[in-house]
Amino acid sequence: MTEAAIKVEDITYAYGDLLAVKGISFEVQPGEILGFLGPNGAGKSTTIKMLTGQVAPKGGRAQILGADITLDDPDIQARIGVCFEEKNLYLAMSAKENLDFFASLYGIKDPDSLEILRRVGLADRAKDRVKTYSKGMRQRMMISRAFINKPDVLFLDEPTDGLDPVTSASIRATIKEEAARGAAVLLTTHDMFEADELSDRVAFINDGVIVAIDTPENLKLKYGKRSVKIRLRNGSGVREETVALDTPQSGELLKEVVGSGEVLTIHTEEATLEDIFIQMTGRGLVG
Amino acid sequence: MSRTVSRAAIVSAIVKKDLVEFSRDTLYLFLSILGLVLFITFFWIAPSTVNETLTLGVHQTGMNALFDQFQEGADASEGLKLVQFASEEELKKVVAGDLEYWESKDGAQTFLRDKAAGDEKPKDAKKVDVAIGIGFPAGFLEKTAAKERTTVTVYSDAGVPSEIQGAMTSFVREIAYTIAGDAIPVTEPAQENIILGTDRAGDQISIREKMRPMLALFVLMVEVLSMASLVSSEVMNRTVTAVLVSPARAGDFLMAKTIYGTMLAMSQAMIVLIAIGAFTTTNWWLLLLTMLVGSVMFTGVAMIVGAAGKDFLGTLFYGVLFLVPLMIPAFAILLPGTASAWIRFLPTYGMTQVLTGVTAYGLGWADVWQNLLAATAWVVVIYLAGLFTLKRKVESL
Repeated sequence: MTEAAIKVEDITYAYGDLLAVKGISFEVQPGEILGFLGPNGAGKSTTIKMLTGQVAPKGGRAQILGADITLDDPDIQARIGVCFEEKNLYLAMSAKENLDFFASLYGIKDPDSLEILRRVGLADRAKDRVKTYSKGMRQRMMISRAFINKPDVLFLDEPTDGLDPVTSASIRATIKEEAARGAAVLLTTHDMFEADELSDRVAFINDGVIVAIDTPENLKLKYGKRSVKIRLRNGSGVREETVALDTPQSGELLKEVVGSGEVLTIHTEEATLEDIFIQMTGRGLVG
Repeated sequence: MSRTVSRAAIVSAIVKKDLVEFSRDTLYLFLSILGLVLFITFFWIAPSTVNETLTLGVHQTGMNALFDQFQEGADASEGLKLVQFASEEELKKVVAGDLEYWESKDGAQTFLRDKAAGDEKPKDAKKVDVAIGIGFPAGFLEKTAAKERTTVTVYSDAGVPSEIQGAMTSFVREIAYTIAGDAIPVTEPAQENIILGTDRAGDQISIREKMRPMLALFVLMVEVLSMASLVSSEVMNRTVTAVLVSPARAGDFLMAKTIYGTMLAMSQAMIVLIAIGAFTTTNWWLLLLTMLVGSVMFTGVAMIVGAAGKDFLGTLFYGVLFLVPLMIPAFAILLPGTASAWIRFLPTYGMTQVLTGVTAYGLGWADVWQNLLAATAWVVVIYLAGLFTLKRKVESL
């Protein structure tokens, strides 16, 4: 087994008396995307702040690429990429100037900034000042900045928050490409679809505690309801039948219902990640 | 991918980025250029000479012999010029500014010009300012000799210092005593004037000369606001956070800001000092050193202001709060006599003294080292305070 790119053991953080992260532990392997799923204020961004060296944990320990995060090692910082929730770009500079500047901080002599901008669909606006960009373009710019050093570990804090579906899909595609390249990705989001689509595993975090961590499929299997809902034409009306999938007779029963009339729709009743989150924590992902 | 990047390369990258941002900040770029142009223009249109002569207007009748003695005495001494008026009304109007007093260039002819009545300017003549005058009444000589009470009127423009007005009153009293035959009840010392400190009599510097330190400080002041705005923007937009999750450390960021601020302030101060002719072959290194000290001092101020200000108005507020006290020593040189002794304790006092001494009086290292040392001590205090304030702000984000 390869060494975990991110290894977190029982770390805690408090803002004054308020304990924001209460001893969480997890690992992320190279090439893996771990989705941190939780509502606002659950402790997702604070965890990323600790792991990227912005704040020091109050307790526990964590390693990035085998190095303790408290060492504040520039060589390790050179191997991570961060996409912040706030759009902290240099607005008076162009996209290319922004990327070239950050590349120089990583010691990259001839950065291929245009290629990176092309990946996020901004190559044709590379020379325009970022202050002229739309919200979606700035978000894509944030993602491209996180990629500038071809990082081994990527921290993405709400990378598609508030974006239109087309831009979100484009950003998700680039995140998958980075994971495929071998980068370990820690992704925080409160978007269940994003977490489901992108994550190899998801961690549910609520009130500073990880309440569950597994693959989306396993979580759905473990906590979801396995049944099928079938709508059939019934003379001039419509009737609806639900068939449970966990009994030995499920196959026969399903066959019988389907054969009993003209089938209009068949839907699985698989639970969404949000359903499971609500089931486990008693609160929704938004708010 | 692992790379090693030197601290110098990181600092250099941040400085370059700051310069790009400065070049894109239209407001501060405009203010900087406007400041340079205006400061240099103000300097060259300011009076370059000092008129140390006091012109005293006199109206008298029956005192020609005495007045001729006064005239001879005035001609023999520097700093006093007597002009005579035919009537007290003329004298009064000239002092009040209702009439203008002109003299031919050789001084042989005099003219009174009523500007309001449309009188033309006399040809080949120069205007003489008569701000104070004495009107002796008819029969003054005889009545005073007979120890009779008379009234002598001293006319004074509002702008004449009260000390000069008092001196004129004493002058009249002394004449009266002399004519009356009474001795003045004091013994005049062998040396008439005892000057405490450096005697600048006859060595007064012009307004233009006095403006040099003030202009240098003005340039630094504009750059404080410019750099503070940049720092504030980095903090408020949290771009500094993005920098600090890269291999760059807080120390690199602070070092870059120090270099950027000092470089920007010093280069512009140099442009102004060169344009106003402050440099000579002997003082250039002393001026460079002084401006380096000043630039670092103001960079420290900019760090504090930038960390405190949350937006343009906030930066302006804190900027003015810090900069006004720092400008006082320069204004004190421009308006001597207005400042109290406590200005010696202001951080920019030493710097302005060095600038004035070096550029106006040609002083050298031996004369100014103490002031320069005091300025350097202040730089250490202010710069460290700036570093501490900004570091705390950056780390608290």
